[in-house]
Amino acid sequence: MGSFFRFRAFLLLILAATHLCCNSIAHSSSSASSSSTTMHTNNWAVLVCTSRFWFNYRHMANTLSLYRTVKRLGIPDERIILMLADDMACNARNKYPAQVFNNENHKLNLYGDNVEVDYRGYEVTVENFLRVLTGRHETAVPRSKRLLSDEGSHILLYMTGHGGDEFLKFQDSEELQSHDLADAVKQMKEKRRFKELLIMVDTCQAATLFSQLHSPGVLAIGSSMKGENSYSHHLDSDVGVSVVDRFTFYTLAFFERLNMYDNASLSSLFGSYNPNMLMSTAYYRMDLYQRRLEEVPVTNFFGSVMETIHTVSAYRAPSGKNSDKDKIKLSLDQSVGLDERRTLTSSNVQDQINDSNTKVSSVIPPYSYLHIFFCISCSDLKDGKALMLQDQLGLLEHLWCTFLNKAEKIEDVDILVNYGLVIMFPLVAKTNCKYEDLSIGGCCRTIV
Amino acid sequence: MAEFSESPKDRPSEISELPDESQNSVSDFDPCTMRKTKPGLKRLFLTLTVLFSFFLGSPFLLKSIEIYRSPLPFRDIDSLSDSVGSSPLLFPCHFQAIFVGFDNFDAYDLGISIKHEMKKLTKHPVCGTCSDSNYTLSVTVDSGSGCARNYNAESTFMWRCGAIGEFDLGGGGDDDGVDEFLGSVLGSCEGFRKVYSVVVVNRGGEVRAVVGKYRHAWIVGGVLEEGMNAVVARVAETFVKVFVNGGKEEGSIHGEFMPVGADGRIVLSFNLLNADPTDWIYGWDFQRIDEILLAPVIKALGPVANISVESQVLYHTPKSSFSYWDEKWDSYIFSTKDLPFFVNSNEWHLDTSIAAGGRSKILQFVVYIPSAKECPLLLQLPNGEISVTNAFISPMWGGVAVWNPPGCLRDSESKHPARHTISPQDLQEVFEIFMGQLRQLFGLKSDSLYVGASGTTNLLASERGFTEWELDVLSRQHTCFNLVSCATTLGSLSRLVQSLPRMIIMDEIGKQVKFSLEAAKLTRSNASLGIYDASAVSSRQARSLAEDAFFHPSIMSVSYYSFEHCFAVYSPFFLPVSMHVLLAAFREWRRYKQETAKYLAWKEKAKVAAS
Repeated sequence: MGSFFRFRAFLLLILAATHLCCNSIAHSSSSASSSSTTMHTNNWAVLVCTSRFWFNYRHMANTLSLYRTVKRLGIPDERIILMLADDMACNARNKYPAQVFNNENHKLNLYGDNVEVDYRGYEVTVENFLRVLTGRHETAVPRSKRLLSDEGSHILLYMTGHGGDEFLKFQDSEELQSHDLADAVKQMKEKRRFKELLIMVDTCQAATLFSQLHSPGVLAIGSSMKGENSYSHHLDSDVGVSVVDRFTFYTLAFFERLNMYDNASLSSLFGSYNPNMLMSTAYYRMDLYQRRLEEVPVTNFFGSVMETIHTVSAYRAPSGKNSDKDKIKLSLDQSVGLDERRTLTSSNVQDQINDSNTKVSSVIPPYSYLHIFFCISCSDLKDGKALMLQDQLGLLEHLWCTFLNKAEKIEDVDILVNYGLVIMFPLVAKTNCKYEDLSIGGCCRTIV
Repeated sequence: MAEFSESPKDRPSEISELPDESQNSVSDFDPCTMRKTKPGLKRLFLTLTVLFSFFLGSPFLLKSIEIYRSPLPFRDIDSLSDSVGSSPLLFPCHFQAIFVGFDNFDAYDLGISIKHEMKKLTKHPVCGTCSDSNYTLSVTVDSGSGCARNYNAESTFMWRCGAIGEFDLGGGGDDDGVDEFLGSVLGSCEGFRKVYSVVVVNRGGEVRAVVGKYRHAWIVGGVLEEGMNAVVARVAETFVKVFVNGGKEEGSIHGEFMPVGADGRIVLSFNLLNADPTDWIYGWDFQRIDEILLAPVIKALGPVANISVESQVLYHTPKSSFSYWDEKWDSYIFSTKDLPFFVNSNEWHLDTSIAAGGRSKILQFVVYIPSAKECPLLLQLPNGEISVTNAFISPMWGGVAVWNPPGCLRDSESKHPARHTISPQDLQEVFEIFMGQLRQLFGLKSDSLYVGASGTTNLLASERGFTEWELDVLSRQHTCFNLVSCATTLGSLSRLVQSLPRMIIMDEIGKQVKFSLEAAKLTRSNASLGIYDASAVSSRQARSLAEDAFFHPSIMSVSYYSFEHCFAVYSPFFLPVSMHVLLAAFREWRRYKQETAKYLAWKEKAKVAAS
């Protein structure tokens, strides 16, 4: 009961003090997200198949087809994160072991050579997916499983599986909600992990997954609107299941005509979807994207086109009569340098952080080391107490502020919960009263 | 509830009936409106006890479901972001101009006019450069017999009068000799501070300006023919454009020319690609390059990045762009517009490093040896000329250099081609291209000329790949970049943490943030003292610790549970029970009041009856 009243009180307070401390935070976040004009330097692709089991063969085929396409158009394997939930190729029901097809003509084996699956089977979870996007991995996770994009990156995020209103199912056990996706994208934007992001989703009601996105630079395309299904294209009677979804099928049909030199624009891709063929309406969300689609080649996302600069001149160090002498001298110097480096590496400044993540720089001129030591010690002495006090003060304020902030954000949900409770109140009271009446007896009733 | 509310309303009417029945006294005692005994407190007491124990228990419950959050210094983070955002980080710089053979000029006036020119060139301060309020400029006019200095010439800037006479400056065009000589003269008095010097010698003849490997430049010749203003402008330009900005148009660095990983490390991966090993196979003596040529470069770049080196030789690696035969050049040509397609990422398995950690940066340097059917392979520039270097870079990725085997002579038709090793001279040339590319990736130019508004200046190259003053520029700019990056990362982290009040924050994150802030503070203090190297090192630490904190694996929005979640978990336990407890207490209190009223009513009646 106490907690309930406290909760109500908080809600009232929040309603009263809605705009107290949120403006500053909103302001600073907007300033952080304003990106400088960085060159587009690299391309990444995250391809996710979220469903398990044999009858979802087509989802794996979708993903592998996209994988082939982006690889053919030039995105290297180390820049593709491929997540496949189930291994159809080795499924006992597969009539064609170690092969996966996306067409009943069986011309193209998608599971041919050089398929590098980064997350397989039970590794395809919402948590891992969000870790890939936000970059928060354990230290032991190898580079090949990380999305190491930077502020010059264009990322293609392709997802297929079974979805519904504002969610996408992961392996029949978890759900990725539109909020989760939007939150991850927001964090990526905040940390400048992409320049532009294209989210492509082939599920039922795919459009609903984009409803919470707010980060600039994001372009989203889904196979179906809210309330629509996304259908498979055709059934392969040999394999026994449907092998490809309509949306992906027509996407691939578009890309089959292209090679990496082509200049087809995104608008021509988007224009190629015919609702009658898809049996659903492809939905684009373009309000967060700044560039005009006619001017953006598809290879900006589906291919990898390097930004190159010609090297005008080599750097010629003085070499002449005394070059040999120099070299000998240098090699001597260098051996000394190596020793120095070794000793310095062994003496870490901040051994205090017992953390394997933190890497302390190792090549530092000796005098600067002394200086660092000195400064750390004196700043500790001087500011230790003051800092602590400040922290505590700041923490209280901040907790309050964050609480308000948070509670304000979830206002809608809370009101719902509250109404539910308000309805619960009389119910409980009524049952309570009846019970009491029965037990105590009808003394008062006789009067009435 | 209705029954309770009705009863008090009814009572007055009953009481009003009382007087006319009063004469019946005790005999018509109504059990519904009065009672003879005092109501007991036991039931009320019990229910209230339960209620209060609930209240008393709630703090314990809240404490037990509390989430541990290491206190983060939000205020410090905000102040860091504010200070980094409001004013760019500027370094103190010391300049020295020495005029030899300008006997009629006053050092003080020259100082004023140079400062004036410098101010014109630095319109708005860019992060990582020198602030015009914070630099010192000393001017010395050396007349051979004695020196005249302007007022703020400090003793550390001492220029030994007449030292120039001992050396024939720029006579034979031996720039390296002059550079070493000036280095010895100026370096001896430089001391702890880094002083940028320009020596101007008026001696007639052609004007020649050179910037050396250290921190000085010299201008020799008939400089006075164009007037003193031109000399002053040139000196000021050398100070601002070359020494401060590093010969670039803008002082700050863009993200794409910051090839240092978030953890402050770079892995230089050198790859030798044999496009078709059936034609020829080349190997290289990489050990030699690493030990003799690379090690000094890595050491020189030490403050800016922690660099490690690895190398590999790959076979069967065709490029993915096309080339065509050109009679005019007697070779195969690929043009600059094909460059984006040159790298064949499906066949070139370059990123095989196991040394590189998660957030290190790998820079690929590729020597591409074409197959016999496209040899020699040359790069044609848009203006129709053939590239001198035959090489290109891709920012943040690395560089590619095409190396054609001498003569392009295929081995005899044997099935097993002989193995060759690239000759040391060729390797040296390739390495020079690599150095040019590395400098380009860091945003520095490699042509030995700087063309400014007031004339062309020769830039001497250092065998360490980067000259002293270029390293200063890099240190300053990287310090600035790192500090800004650290501040924005910590700012993002603090916003994130504040937006998720139910998220666990481990102590480790708190520590990383604290150390990052300390390193940032140290950076600022080092920067204000003008110690470029140390500030670059500590800024790198600050950035890497901030990144570690931000990317800590425990921060995952799906793995904490939110306030709604908490409420939903605990309310089924406590809400139904607490309703009953509260209502019971309320009811008991009402009942007690009611019964007391009855008792009082009876007492009243009894009193009336007794009287």
